[in-house]
Amino acid sequence: MKKTNAGKYHHLKLDWSDRTIRGFTYVFVGIFAIVCIIPFWLIVSSSFSDENAIRRTGFALWPPEISLRSYNLILQNPDLLIGSYIVTILLTVIGTLIGLFVISMTGYALQRKDFQLRNKISFFIYFTSLFTAGLVPFYYVIVKIYGLKDSYFAVLLPLLMNPWLIILMKNFVKAIPHEITESGKIDGAGDFTIFYKLIVPSMTPALATIGLFVALGYWNEWYFSSLFLTTIVKYRPLQYHLYNIVNTVASLKNSVASTNVVIQDLPAETLKMATAVLATGPIIFAYPFVQKYFVAGLTVGAVKG
Amino acid sequence: MQKALFRKRNSAADSLAAGHGKHSLWKNTRQNKTLLFMCLPAILFFIAFSYIPMPYSYIAFTKFNYIKGIFGSPFVGFKNFAFLFRSGQLTLLLRNTILFNLAFILLGNFFQIAFAILLNEVQSKRFKKIAQSMMFLPYFISPVLVSLLVYNLINYDYGFISSLVRSWGGAMPKLYSQPSAWPFIIVAVNLWQTTGYGTVIYFAAITSIDESMIEAATVDGANGFQRIRYIMLPSLKPTVVILLLFAMGGIIRGNFGLFYNLVGNNSVLFSTTDIIETYVYRALMNNFNFSQGSAVGLFQSVVGFGIVMVANTVVRHIEPDYALF
Amino acid sequence: MKKLVSLLMVLAMLLSLAPAAFAETATTDYSDWFPGVDTSEHVVITMLVTGNVPTNKTDEVLTVFNEKLTEAINAELQIQWIEWADWQTKYQLALAMQDGSIDLVGTATDWLYAWDNARNGGFLALSDEMLQTYCPKTYASVSQEHWDMCKYDGEIYFAPEDNYAQWTNHGFMYRGDWATAAGIENGDINSWEELGVYFQYIKDTYPDVVPWDADGSGSSYSPQVAGGYMTDKIGLVAVEGLPVSLFYGTKDDPYTLSRCFLEGDTLVNFAIQQKAWADAGYWREDVLNYTGDQKDLLRAGLSGAYQHHTQTWRTERTKMEAKQPGSDLRFYWFGEESDSLVSLNITHGAMAVAGQSKNPERALMVYDLIRNDPTFYDLFNYGIEGEQYIVVDGFLARPDTYKDDSTDGVSFNYWWGRNDDLEIRNSEVDWDAYDALVAEEYDPVKIDYPYGKVVFDTDPISIELDNVTNVYNTYMPVITFGKCEDPEAYVAEFRQALQDAGIETVMTEVQSQIDAVYGD
Repeated sequence: MKKTNAGKYHHLKLDWSDRTIRGFTYVFVGIFAIVCIIPFWLIVSSSFSDENAIRRTGFALWPPEISLRSYNLILQNPDLLIGSYIVTILLTVIGTLIGLFVISMTGYALQRKDFQLRNKISFFIYFTSLFTAGLVPFYYVIVKIYGLKDSYFAVLLPLLMNPWLIILMKNFVKAIPHEITESGKIDGAGDFTIFYKLIVPSMTPALATIGLFVALGYWNEWYFSSLFLTTIVKYRPLQYHLYNIVNTVASLKNSVASTNVVIQDLPAETLKMATAVLATGPIIFAYPFVQKYFVAGLTVGAVKG
Repeated sequence: MQKALFRKRNSAADSLAAGHGKHSLWKNTRQNKTLLFMCLPAILFFIAFSYIPMPYSYIAFTKFNYIKGIFGSPFVGFKNFAFLFRSGQLTLLLRNTILFNLAFILLGNFFQIAFAILLNEVQSKRFKKIAQSMMFLPYFISPVLVSLLVYNLINYDYGFISSLVRSWGGAMPKLYSQPSAWPFIIVAVNLWQTTGYGTVIYFAAITSIDESMIEAATVDGANGFQRIRYIMLPSLKPTVVILLLFAMGGIIRGNFGLFYNLVGNNSVLFSTTDIIETYVYRALMNNFNFSQGSAVGLFQSVVGFGIVMVANTVVRHIEPDYALF
Repeated sequence: MKKLVSLLMVLAMLLSLAPAAFAETATTDYSDWFPGVDTSEHVVITMLVTGNVPTNKTDEVLTVFNEKLTEAINAELQIQWIEWADWQTKYQLALAMQDGSIDLVGTATDWLYAWDNARNGGFLALSDEMLQTYCPKTYASVSQEHWDMCKYDGEIYFAPEDNYAQWTNHGFMYRGDWATAAGIENGDINSWEELGVYFQYIKDTYPDVVPWDADGSGSSYSPQVAGGYMTDKIGLVAVEGLPVSLFYGTKDDPYTLSRCFLEGDTLVNFAIQQKAWADAGYWREDVLNYTGDQKDLLRAGLSGAYQHHTQTWRTERTKMEAKQPGSDLRFYWFGEESDSLVSLNITHGAMAVAGQSKNPERALMVYDLIRNDPTFYDLFNYGIEGEQYIVVDGFLARPDTYKDDSTDGVSFNYWWGRNDDLEIRNSEVDWDAYDALVAEEYDPVKIDYPYGKVVFDTDPISIELDNVTNVYNTYMPVITFGKCEDPEAYVAEFRQALQDAGIETVMTEVQSQIDAVYGD
């Protein structure tokens, strides 16, 4: 099995068009990348700022006055934060493994042209992305029929897969030549064995991409947590933790509640920023890690040979 | 050249798929029962989380009573849909929602494809890795923080950009009072947040392209631009079509978090930024009503469904391989 | 023999008394409180409360609370918090599901959908017998007239917080030191005109301070500030229970709806004043999207005003003296110009029982104890004596070990049945200033909330109400912060939009519903 990268043709001569493209890339992609990171830098910088210093003038690239007060406040009671981290990591790992497995299995089956039922099943799956029953029916079914209120399964299960990922996966698998399946069948292997032993190793970029999306879905999730995990559950996913802190103020101001309710200690700007940094930080390193799997799989040459 | 290669590759599969009538469908399914079992977990998932809740969307046609439950509550016909239609705002809301979505989809995909192709051309692995990680970051920032950042950049009195412009002797426009600026601002923010994320898909698709094809083309004398135009872009076509078709289904659904947080209560900007979701939120904020909210969702579902059916039929006539179903 | 018998009889008597004697000294006997009630089964009662999960000593206090509660009526209390982010949805969903997991529900008719839930089956109907048996002290302390105000369709649905003096009328907090320096008599602002003078003074004297650094991103300013201005000029009385603040009576004729938002000069004058103030720079240019915190800015000396209500001012005054010594924070209340003031509706805070609660009787008993028994009241409101608080000269003070509310305090957000009879005044509040305000300015002019008996049925006008609400939320923020080009034309546009949305239908319907209850 030869692993090659579609970009490795540098042994061929570079001409003017290649150089232009490359120059163009460095400039434009570079600028965009910097534009992406500046706001994040502002968030990090303001999380280390003294509250009063940024109150009037807003954020700056470097904190006008450094203060670790927000971080101290959060880390003083690290129990909740650590619990949130653990819960989120567990959900992400378990959910991604199960979800990715089911999605890739389904994606493979649905692109097999010799499987006549595939279009009907595709439509069955795809239709769910068009018609959503809405918040109340979904909530009703999960809480009253499945009884999943205050259970982590209420967060784990709904995020395992979605139609978009399945169809995307189907599209990726389509690019793998059918000869591979055929050669497996000739050798007498069943469909699942073919899938597991032959197809999966040649779809690493697809697995990495879809796996990343599923993982991100879990890491970023706050919606199902907010709906189904009431305060009876002590450790709730990380992003929900952050969402609560950041949205408390906004929610109060935009409702009649603010007329009547006096909340003593609303979180300061810097506290929101610090929480954002702590909640987002780790996942940033997931992408470079996943990057190395973006290598092409089997080539036709290996099959023919 | 491209199409010929594809056709040759899949001819064996085509011959396997040939069959006539119902008898062979049953036979074919039995032959491929492992494949069916492989689809089973997904099928069960969607039944459990999407199909079973569907009948309960009946709530949109009732006056919901908590003790009587959804099916026991009194039926009120289309009354819950009326408020949206009688608001006089529906045309404006639909126009804004659809135009924004079109801009997000078309511009978004354009930049994502462009960046994926460009990044692929670059040799330096480090540049690729670092650039992609940096581009990915904005995706993680929650809408509330995004709006805070935007405010800090462009507010008239103390904004980062305002100060810069004034220090160069320029005049800063009062952006928060100018509706015409906001389609650009919102599209820019959305692009900033989602481009990195979407580039990943195209990048993965590019790395799946068979290298020997590219080498053959280069040996034949194709330069960089021609490589892109004749090999990369056509290979990405199936992915693009699928993503576009998918996006059609959500064309009258808006990204509530983005719009609500950026615009907030600033009604000066509503003429160019109000979408269905934000309107409904404002109308029902204190007059909380599950049935009416559900009715709007149902309306969006039905319209989205109609649009996709039409789009998919069109695509199926042109290139059956690219249709979603 | 006789002696032996009488000795034995005395012994028997003593023996029969002994257990009672032991019981008397070991625990407090609540069987008198709830005569004839069987508490043999241990029950956990869940109370639904709005607020973020506390990170201070609330859990510890709850453990102690539950020990005593178990001894008293063999029950335990558990709190389910509805956190502030998306609280409207979550609160309504929790009540809509009726899965038996909730027993007590904190509610309010003006901001926590009490009437909606009474109508929709979210709350349990409480009969007089039930209340008498399981909630005896509360039932006795609330007058029949007040119980009538908690009825829908003849049934009682919640117990009102009617024995707690609370002023949540809105106005502007301002700094007495700057007001005096601005030349206002006694530093006492009594009108919008003087408020303008105050703002201008700050603008002229302190270039780094925004006179009123408001965060216009919230939607609550329109009803508060605009309604406040109108109340000052024409003596309005707000009608609660409707989703948009367009319904007012006047203090001279409460039962006829005022048309001040639909016609007349007052609204126009307000729009013109606000535009002038916006142009003068009394608040930020991009105020409608600004999310800063007024309170923090005031304390940091970066703002000169804070718009909220009396209760807030009461706490803020002391905090301001600590942060900005000499600031002498005072309160200009809306209605001061025309002496119009309405007492707080008694159902501003209330306790209900969930429709499908599994233990409504025990739930009511828990509420009765919290509301009327000093042991439970103190634990729930103040914490453990010696740890969260100490009582000095009849006032509540903090022990030396107490550092901060957020780490050592207790927060049950109990706004559903506070009791003036059991309240301990907090020594940190400037009671002299507060009592003076209430006695000299409020008590002489206040009137009771006039619409307590009306439960509005919004079904016949729900479409128009939705659209009218949207019009209000679209135009009023702009009017309130003066962000329109031509105020007069803009108000005219607003009025036309209201007409198009069906305001006349709504007004007629609301008026007829008021007439049905209070008509001649």
